[in-house]
Amino acid sequence: MKISAHIAVILTAASLCFAQNSGQVVGQGLSEEAKSKDVAEARAKRNAQQFQNKASILTFLDRYGKRTGQIGQSAMYDSAVLSPDGKHVAAIKQDLDNETFDLFVFDVATGAEKRLTTNARRDFAFAPVWSPDSKRLAYVALRAGKEAIYSQSPDGQGPEELLYNNPGAFLDLSDWSLDGRFLTFCISDIKGGDLYILKLEGGPDRKPIEIVHSDLRIFESRFSPDGRYLSYMLFDKADKGEIFVRPSDPTASEGPWQISDGTSSPGFWVDGGKELYYMARDHSVMAAEISTSPSFSFKKPKLLFREAVPVPSDLMYISADGARFLVSPPPRGQLLQQITIFDRKGQVVKKVGEPALYSQPAFSPDGNRVLVMKQDIKSGQRDLWVVDIDTAKATRISDDTRFKATPLWSPDGKYIFYSALLDGDWPVYRKAADGTGKEELLFRYTPGAFVGLSDISSDGKFLVCESGGVVLLVPLTVSDPSARKPVDYLRDEFANETGRLSLDGRFIAYRSDEAKPERFEVYVRPFDAAKPMDDKKWQVSKGGVPGMSNEAVVSTLYWRDDSKEILFRGQELDSDDVVMMAADVETNPTFRVDAPKVLFRVHGPVEDNLGAVTRDGQRFVLTINVPADQTEHPAGGQ
Amino acid sequence: MTSRARPFLLVFLVFSVLLVAQAWAHHNMTAVFDFSDRVTVTGTLTAIDWRNPHTYFTVEAKGAAGAIESWQIEGPSPSFFRVRDVGKPDFEASVGKTVTVEISRARDKSRSGLIRTFTLSNGKIVSACPQNC
Repeated sequence: MKISAHIAVILTAASLCFAQNSGQVVGQGLSEEAKSKDVAEARAKRNAQQFQNKASILTFLDRYGKRTGQIGQSAMYDSAVLSPDGKHVAAIKQDLDNETFDLFVFDVATGAEKRLTTNARRDFAFAPVWSPDSKRLAYVALRAGKEAIYSQSPDGQGPEELLYNNPGAFLDLSDWSLDGRFLTFCISDIKGGDLYILKLEGGPDRKPIEIVHSDLRIFESRFSPDGRYLSYMLFDKADKGEIFVRPSDPTASEGPWQISDGTSSPGFWVDGGKELYYMARDHSVMAAEISTSPSFSFKKPKLLFREAVPVPSDLMYISADGARFLVSPPPRGQLLQQITIFDRKGQVVKKVGEPALYSQPAFSPDGNRVLVMKQDIKSGQRDLWVVDIDTAKATRISDDTRFKATPLWSPDGKYIFYSALLDGDWPVYRKAADGTGKEELLFRYTPGAFVGLSDISSDGKFLVCESGGVVLLVPLTVSDPSARKPVDYLRDEFANETGRLSLDGRFIAYRSDEAKPERFEVYVRPFDAAKPMDDKKWQVSKGGVPGMSNEAVVSTLYWRDDSKEILFRGQELDSDDVVMMAADVETNPTFRVDAPKVLFRVHGPVEDNLGAVTRDGQRFVLTINVPADQTEHPAGGQ
Repeated sequence: MTSRARPFLLVFLVFSVLLVAQAWAHHNMTAVFDFSDRVTVTGTLTAIDWRNPHTYFTVEAKGAAGAIESWQIEGPSPSFFRVRDVGKPDFEASVGKTVTVEISRARDKSRSGLIRTFTLSNGKIVSACPQNC
């Protein structure tokens, strides 16, 4: 359930056999059984990679931010909650192979683990909450498409009890009142959110009481100890979260009150409701002094602590006495990334600047600058920066909380193009590469649909984009952004992505899972923006490019500027290593491709970008993982 | 984002996981469909469009007044079915026959919806959960 972005495109030298010269694509020659086995193996290897990159151990901090202990084995945890008596932790564990999420209970003293749910494939349990006496656990389960709240004894004895059948979806159960009489949950989607309480008296046909509706999304409601108030998170259209408090009586006229100035966690009532703790966006744990008598008031939150490591943990839960903090440390430890430039043999040519949380580096067309996504450790915000390779001087391109994706340079190096998530949509923008001026909206795609950029024609007249496995062309020749309508250029039953044009514009390279599911191969077709896609195509790679992955951006194809070489990269299934490959091609009089060769490999995982190769095909830029504690400036600030 | 909200995100912020490679969830389904408004349509499957970013199915069903109504039903991408041992031939075999589809209805209340489950003419149930549920 952990959602983040990265790329995995893999070709091993050993598995490569090649489509030689010109010729139409033919099948892989595998039987259905062999294909199925091959797909299963690819998925299993990818899952193993994902586990390695995402698994962590639940960890306790004290109120000074010092690590005091761990619990359970390394796993992909979610929703860890400490029991009120402090003796147990309930947590959700993800099973990648079975595609399930199940509830487990851990004994804090011994670490012993008890499995409470065993869901069928692709069914989930999530959002556990403890009863105030620590004798019951309530949680949500999505089974066979039906969502419901259940409860069960934490020792697994006795039957699971159905508490509430949700007629809809997206129920986010988050607390059990201290008097034991109510649950609270939120239901949010792109159109907004609702906060409810559910009275536990009665049967499964209980009716929830709506406390508040908002046009924004609401999560993580929690009762104050006296039950008179509810804290909750509200996310604005740019995905910035804040903690609010309001009365639990829907008829009350007072409130709400905004407690935080940016949060990355829910609010936790502490010390009998006299304080509200949360983790700010910079991972500082904050404490707001609260008074609820005679009416609600609070003081400006103060810093309680910030974990003394370069990359702090994510907060999962705070005990009611404010003494124990349950956190999820960064899965792969304290890692930062170094912008590193390689030659064709894989030799390091230059390291640019200091390590930071970098990803998706892309050379400017002249090869003198690098566009990179950087996550600010202080704020947690991910923004686009342009870094001068000689001086390491960095220029900020964006400064906002939106999730930005698929950044590209314009062919003349004057602009940065990107898509950014706003209110559930993915508008496409451009901004000057020197950081000046305002962001310019280029076009809007289907509401709610992700659209990624993969290329810009050399004359700047149209964008090549992708959405849902369809290669799109977006004409930029009209001035009105609302009149720029994407055209489906390559649309069939296969996932076709990463359309990249040869510099002369006569061919388009892309990757597709046409040959086998779970695998991606590189293909080339003739290209003419004025005509429908030509059926003729050539397969450049053969042997599988497992392109499905968890973190990332589109990518992996590059044309050398003389259109005589296609470079592409993969990430080995077994090792997670990045492999850079190149194939000589001819485009006159028609297309022809030679067997690709491995240029070099580097230890992964490494996130990707379409601009990771200079136009002459001589230099490669990657953001290489380095231990944060070995750097002089681990905070990575610019 | 909080860890507890992630199951929710899986469903309608699928982009992060899948934007790269899978043509799984093209758009935020809740933008168009109301997941709390469920309708079950039983009728004749008359057409299939088996392409990315979504599959589409036309089902002709008898309405409350007895007249035949045409429902346009959106399903996951072909890639979604491809890794679940369900293929276009399974649906093609039901064309011209009676099927039952449970959908989340479009917010504009048109006769369209998003598949939750699709019962083929041979009784086989194809689920679009968890992402469509």
